[in-house]
Amino acid sequence: MSEYLAQTAVLLASLWPKLVAGFVLTVEIAAAAAPLALVFGLVLLAPRMDARAFVSGPTVAFIELMRNTPLLVQIYLIYFGLPVLGFYPSEFTCGVAGIALQHGAFLVETYRGAIESVSTRQWDAARAIGMGRFTAFRHVILPQALMKILGPLGNQLIVLAKDTSLVSAIGVMELTMTGKLAIERSAASAEVFVAIALFYLAMTTAIGGAVRLLEYRVAERT
Amino acid sequence: MVNVLITNLPYLLRGAVMTLWLALAVVTLGTLLGTGLGILATGRSRIVRAAITVYIFVLRGIPVLVVMFLGYYAFPALGFRVNAYVAVGVAQIVYVGAFTAEIVRSAILSVHPGQIAAAKSLGMRRGAILREVILPQATCIAIPPLLNNALTAVKQTAYASVVGAWELTYAAREIVERTLASFQIFLGVMAIYFAICYPLSLLARWYEKRLVVSH
Repeated sequence: MSEYLAQTAVLLASLWPKLVAGFVLTVEIAAAAAPLALVFGLVLLAPRMDARAFVSGPTVAFIELMRNTPLLVQIYLIYFGLPVLGFYPSEFTCGVAGIALQHGAFLVETYRGAIESVSTRQWDAARAIGMGRFTAFRHVILPQALMKILGPLGNQLIVLAKDTSLVSAIGVMELTMTGKLAIERSAASAEVFVAIALFYLAMTTAIGGAVRLLEYRVAERT
Repeated sequence: MVNVLITNLPYLLRGAVMTLWLALAVVTLGTLLGTGLGILATGRSRIVRAAITVYIFVLRGIPVLVVMFLGYYAFPALGFRVNAYVAVGVAQIVYVGAFTAEIVRSAILSVHPGQIAAAKSLGMRRGAILREVILPQATCIAIPPLLNNALTAVKQTAYASVVGAWELTYAAREIVERTLASFQIFLGVMAIYFAICYPLSLLARWYEKRLVVSH
């Protein structure tokens, strides 16, 4: 048993620099995709909530297509499809774009849910006591919507962080790909993926903790 | 343009059938496992509760692809020679089980404690309270998130192709490598996934609305 542990420790120590490099790239993918997804969700919000069917219809169709097909296939479509049209973006760009598109489609529904969940009576009440439209939005609607949105937003960001592992399928040397290659090309075995799992667990736990801290701050201010 | 898709459609549909079988097995067994664990997680034993909490926390914090790779490489390392479907299937069942357990656990905990007090004062025993009072109410609450969970599980079966199990996405990659018709094939595959997933989505939304109306 102790011999096994010693062997595993030696193995992981030898792979450590590669694992850290893979983890850094994973964080970079998540850090690039998350803001894009958040903004893309916001961009879709106005056409999604538009009263005219010729605006909201195609938007809904796009959102539903993104939400009801696997992210992996979307990434493949971008990575193998764009060269046909004469564009040759890098694997990193294709992966980030795929993740941002799908998560943006999920986020727009999260935003919509939060806005619609703040009762219209809150609007009426704020206006009735003499608040202007901007003041009412800033001090009445936004804080309440923000409180409601932070939880789901945090969950979506955790899913996004985990989804970065799919970029390994198009050959980006992030954490998951590093583990796969370590097993295929060296004497490493399944234990590598236990270490990799712990890296991901650290990242998702950190995101979860940060969001909870933010929720606490917002709750304190309102 | 569309010819490539039509000539390769039979092959893709065979992949879709494989995807459906994989999805059916993962959703059924994962939901069963998770429901059992979710109920146990509200039980009296502190050790069992702690163990299930750790299981849920760990599995929900790592990507399903990593769990699949872990299953794929760990089975042979432990001396079991299984095919890719079993390795990937077991990994996905364990993964889906963690999410299901959390849904079931919180659904049970969301049943009002007054209900349990009332049942106790009527002289009902623990088993009867669980069966007759808690579970019927918890089921109503749990169904929409469980359907969304199943939807995610169906989409996740596509990741099995990365580990080496042949199904719809794997079949698509084979055809694209042969024909280079990436756009037609992957769009066609998206349409097939959409046909499988969208009804599940609609069902989940319909249930959610019904639940809101009834409260």
